[in-house]
Amino acid sequence: MDVAPDDKETLGAMLATRGVGRRSLLKFAIAMASSLALPPGVAPLMAANLAKAKRRSVIWLSFQECTGCVETLLRSSSPTIDQLIFDFISLDYQEALMAAAGAAAEKTLHDAIAANKGEYLLAIDGSIPTKDGGVYSLTGGRSNLAMLKDVAADAKAILAIGTCAAFGGIPKAFPNPTGAVGVEDLVRDKPIVNIPGCPPVPEVLSGVLAYFISFGKLPDLDDRKRPLAYFGATIHDQCYRRAFYDQGKFAHAFDDEGARQGWCLFELGCKGPTTHNACASVKWNNGTSFPIQSGHGCIGCSQPDFWDAGGFYTSLAGGSATGWRNAGIAAAVGIAGGAAAALAARSKAKDVDSTPAPEDKP
Amino acid sequence: MTLLEFARGPAWQASVLILIAGVAWRLVAMILLRRRPQFAAPRHGLPQRIGGGARTILTRFMPRRAFWPRIAVSVVLSATFHIGLGVIIFGGAPHILVIRQFTGLSWPSLPKGVIVIVSGVTLASMIALLLRRLNHPVLRLLSTADDYLSWLLVFLPVLTGMLLSGETVGGYGNLLALHILSVELMVIWLPFGKLMHAGLVFAGRGLMGMNFSRKGAAT
Amino acid sequence: MNSAPPAAKAIRPDDAHVAKAMHSFLADIGPSSALAMDSCIHCGRCAEACQFYVQTGDPRYTPIHKIAPFKQAYEREMGPFAFAYKLFGLTPKISAIELMQWQELLYDSCNMCGRCSLICPMGIDIADLVEQARHAMFVAGMTPPDFLGLLAEKEQVTGSPFGLTSPQMRDMLHDIGAKYGVVMRVDEAKADIVPTLSSIDLKTYPSSMAATAKILNHIGANTGLSWTFRTDGFDADNVALTAGDRAGQRKITLGIVRAAIACGAKTLVMPECGHSFTEMRWEAANAYGQELPFRIVQITELLAEGLADGGIRVNKAPQTATYHDACQLSRRGGATAAPRLILQSLGVDLHEMEDGGDANWCCGGGGGVALIKRAQPLRDKAFAIKQRQVEATGADKVFISCSGCRQTLDHGGKAIGWTREVASLLELVADNLRN
Repeated sequence: MDVAPDDKETLGAMLATRGVGRRSLLKFAIAMASSLALPPGVAPLMAANLAKAKRRSVIWLSFQECTGCVETLLRSSSPTIDQLIFDFISLDYQEALMAAAGAAAEKTLHDAIAANKGEYLLAIDGSIPTKDGGVYSLTGGRSNLAMLKDVAADAKAILAIGTCAAFGGIPKAFPNPTGAVGVEDLVRDKPIVNIPGCPPVPEVLSGVLAYFISFGKLPDLDDRKRPLAYFGATIHDQCYRRAFYDQGKFAHAFDDEGARQGWCLFELGCKGPTTHNACASVKWNNGTSFPIQSGHGCIGCSQPDFWDAGGFYTSLAGGSATGWRNAGIAAAVGIAGGAAAALAARSKAKDVDSTPAPEDKP
Repeated sequence: MTLLEFARGPAWQASVLILIAGVAWRLVAMILLRRRPQFAAPRHGLPQRIGGGARTILTRFMPRRAFWPRIAVSVVLSATFHIGLGVIIFGGAPHILVIRQFTGLSWPSLPKGVIVIVSGVTLASMIALLLRRLNHPVLRLLSTADDYLSWLLVFLPVLTGMLLSGETVGGYGNLLALHILSVELMVIWLPFGKLMHAGLVFAGRGLMGMNFSRKGAAT
Repeated sequence: MNSAPPAAKAIRPDDAHVAKAMHSFLADIGPSSALAMDSCIHCGRCAEACQFYVQTGDPRYTPIHKIAPFKQAYEREMGPFAFAYKLFGLTPKISAIELMQWQELLYDSCNMCGRCSLICPMGIDIADLVEQARHAMFVAGMTPPDFLGLLAEKEQVTGSPFGLTSPQMRDMLHDIGAKYGVVMRVDEAKADIVPTLSSIDLKTYPSSMAATAKILNHIGANTGLSWTFRTDGFDADNVALTAGDRAGQRKITLGIVRAAIACGAKTLVMPECGHSFTEMRWEAANAYGQELPFRIVQITELLAEGLADGGIRVNKAPQTATYHDACQLSRRGGATAAPRLILQSLGVDLHEMEDGGDANWCCGGGGGVALIKRAQPLRDKAFAIKQRQVEATGADKVFISCSGCRQTLDHGGKAIGWTREVASLLELVADNLRN
């Protein structure tokens, strides 16, 4: 955020000052449209709208989080248009990045809300603790719970960024000592977009913003409020190792022969088949790689409760073992029941006529 | 908790425990009944009787020539079904994984396309067997609710497994949950109905083989 | 001693007796028969092995169906989950009227031949379960009247279904000896070998008794072994067995055992008869409660032994013939090889029947079915299979080792106008002894 754009400046004007002309904007729009699974004819409209777009206020609240989501969004080796879009939104409040602190920061928040009432986007990362009045995460003595309620009231829409904000994430993992929940469990009266991932793919956020800036509304969402364009398919559906899965070629251990051949990691616990995200197609670090390509199975980090889903290295085919103790108890119950039944049967047979018909014994 | 987590977690545990308890109960209730001693002089000694038992287990898979003409259809359909089921269970990669998880044993799997085809053949043989059971006068007389329930509890896993392998119909997560749940239903019912024949067949043939070998009678 | 035993006439087929019957059936059940009751997977293959189903297409003759009410009683009273069956009323108790429907299934249409047991993929000995079910039917008073009154009663009192007493038996034997010119040994105090007889032989084939004596005399001359008939234990037919009268069955069996023990026998020889062999060979020791001090062989086994070790010497009698395996001797009894050894020793050109040997079709008369008059039409249908088998061999002579089969083949053959001869293997050997 090294330049504070003029309130009146459009995105097109701002980009022009940086040497990014209309043609580049159109190319960007084409790429964005494709990424958003929009028909190609939409691209010129998107480009035109982007050029005309005015600054959109974004208030970013960080709750019970690790700051990984913010870090990933900043991770960029050279400025890209995505990065520029982030510049173009007026990120009016973000505790990690803003210069102000303490009372000054509080005032900034207050002013931003007042100035953009009903129009600002509220971006949230981190889960919200609810136990014991939400005392487990406070900013300036105020609980996240209370802050969320206040700031959400005048927002136009809410972006729940990262699995913690979307579904509760890691703090929600058993036994969830802070009573952590996602945004959608607390806010029911505002449009919410969930952008899960631990962390989420940066291009997803920029795609959602580009759509919002271009069309003034949120993109199509699935039943978990995730943008369909990025979360409609599973990792499995787009994985480059899929052919190995189909042929039954699996790595059995890390760094074994199969692993070195790049075979499917299903056996090593890959949750690709049940994980919805864009990692396999969009990839990370400007399309460099993603976990499976690096030799580790998908851990399903964009799915709700992924931390409690039975182990990262247990395959989807495997279940949780009962344990020998429980199995022994079950066997004992069975043996006792069977013995009782046999004894009842024997006593019934005892007092019948004395001539035994022989019971064959091998 | 999602359906899949339920299927892989508490449902799996409960069904396995019920299986263990039920099988133990059913077997012990029979084993502990009063046995009467056999005093007639045997024709063959114990080693030959044990061999007779083992042999009978194998020979009853293939009926005698004298019986073959009248039961050929039944034998072919049944063999197709059982062999198909065996190929699916022991050749399907995810099944081998489950076995590996609990025993450490594993072996190469078949490509999922093969599994899909074998599943289709197995389903077809099951439908043929069901139609036969519904139409043949002897089977209509003998059949009970258990016969039809057991059929359904095996049909559903094979069907959902085939769809899961084919990966063209239905979402993976939901299909996997349904597949695992359908297997669990079958596992829960197994100790109480005719599906128990999976184990009893060896006991029955073995005992008959030993008993009849004792007499030198035909097995 | 002509009064009928009170039990036979006093049993009324009512619900109370049905309950007692089920109880008595369940008392027989041990691990092996429990497994048998529990294992049926309703595959229907047993029907395809049964001559009565095959020839009529009537599914009620499906072997495992014949014991259906008893299976239900087992599940309800003694099965592993009996408590659940009772709690949810899964199998209701059967009434006397309903159980009477099973009389035909268990008696008229079952020879207890064991083909069903041989085909069953689960290894269920269905024939044995039918025998156990007949015990219950007897207690319920539902044994067909043909068995009782006439035969089983007489057998209970005199040891013979024809009511022959010991003195009468003795006279008959001496008469036969005189008629056939054979030395008869009867009721001697001590002997190595004790032969028994079948009442069918007494009535219809007295030549087989003469043949038995002739052969035993021949063996005695060659080996020095002594033999005697014992009229205190002679009739191995055991109608009580096929009737389901356990007490009667035991009485006959023990009578023979005691007679053999009394004269210090080393070998008890069973006649040409099916069920008598399986009963004595495999169940007598259990009735007695301990191992027997003598061995038990069927007459064909004795003949085969003698032919092998020189105790019996024969001239060749070349001819073409086929052999009908009696169910209880071959398939159920383990004596399949002996008759073939005999035929070979005599130079007989044996044309084996297709589907003969261990899987042979029953003649249709076994298991007491031949006694039931109303079952004649069913028996005729079953016999049609035997007719086809025999005719397909092209042989004009059928050898048998069971008088029950002999009688059934004789009568059946006559009814269809056979010119074929039905002959006893025992008599073949006796007629060709070389002294």
